[in-house]
Amino acid sequence: MTATVPRIRVWDWPVRLFHWSVAILVPLMWWTAEQGAMDWHRRLGVALLFVILFRLIWGVVGSETARFSRFLPGPSALLSYPAKLFQRPYLPSFGHNPLGALSVVALLAALSFQVGSGLFSVDVDGLESGPLASLVDFGTGRDIADIHETSFNILLALVALHLTAIAVYAIALRTNLVGPMVTGNRPRVSTDPDTSAPIVAPWGRVGLSAGLAAAIVWAVLSV
Amino acid sequence: MSIKRVLTGASIAATLVTLSACGGGGDAATDGAGSEVLSNGRTVAEQIALRQDQYEQIGGAFKTIRDELEASSPDIAKIQTAAANLPELGTGMGDWFPEGTGPESGVETEALPTIWETPEDFAQKVADFQAAAASIDTAAQSGDLAAIAAAVQPFGGTCKACHDNYRLDD
Repeated sequence: MTATVPRIRVWDWPVRLFHWSVAILVPLMWWTAEQGAMDWHRRLGVALLFVILFRLIWGVVGSETARFSRFLPGPSALLSYPAKLFQRPYLPSFGHNPLGALSVVALLAALSFQVGSGLFSVDVDGLESGPLASLVDFGTGRDIADIHETSFNILLALVALHLTAIAVYAIALRTNLVGPMVTGNRPRVSTDPDTSAPIVAPWGRVGLSAGLAAAIVWAVLSV
Repeated sequence: MSIKRVLTGASIAATLVTLSACGGGGDAATDGAGSEVLSNGRTVAEQIALRQDQYEQIGGAFKTIRDELEASSPDIAKIQTAAANLPELGTGMGDWFPEGTGPESGVETEALPTIWETPEDFAQKVADFQAAAASIDTAAQSGDLAAIAAAVQPFGGTCKACHDNYRLDD
């Protein structure tokens, strides 16, 4: 094939920046926790709080493929999707596929739970606590820290599933999911919307979302 | 009490995860474990529960001090009450770990056998804690917030020094 394959933009840059921020921050959070570097664990946790808040807001006001209302699958889409996995060639969805959307929701929920419980956690040495730990007593803060540590395994399992799915799509379906998450683009397929309406991230909306997320982080740190 | 997790091996690379999570540990105490009576008249289970409660109170008092220091207008009286409790709460800590009150007792405890394997170092760590508790109390009673803040890190450091070597890292 000598002709250039037409490409279509599927992910706006805030979605990609969010994704790779999380991909860097989560292993660092894990590492700092295992090392007992709770001062850095707390700092990076605040950064993670910001990016997750941003993503949740962006899921409402962001571009088409970033919106929850657009990618949350209905029952019929979910039920018909597995059959598509066996069609050749596999035709990738425009944005999250129905199963991938469930994975995204589960990952966001698990991430939010980790960050949320971390806010109230109290370290065993009493030297570092989450920014909202002053609202709970020592015993409660320790219990929340125990839950925070145990529930991390749920996030780990979801990350493992996520990476396994990426490998399966690459090997069995010949579909590269990593590239589009880097560049934002993938080769156009016949089922893609026949529109030139671009996936863009207007600066005003990015600023609004980041500003709102920053305001919530600031309020949390002020408690 | 708490659910234990032992994560034996895991690494995330950009496109690969190797995950090996072994749940378990923290076996529930078998019935009747810890009923042996120690020379101080307490049962093993009572001794373990007593020191756990004592440590929780120490943690609570230290948390009160730290929370107040971070508050926009710290309540100095609250800090002083909490700090005055610390030396008292830590009194006799060296006797909280009689032989037979480790994990081999069958009672759930995060105390590691290393406490009884290196008793001199453990006693030194306890003494360090007691000295730091006295220092933070002195600082608190002076009413000087900067002095109290300066005593926080060394005090917490003595907690950490002991936890790192003598407490199960869950």
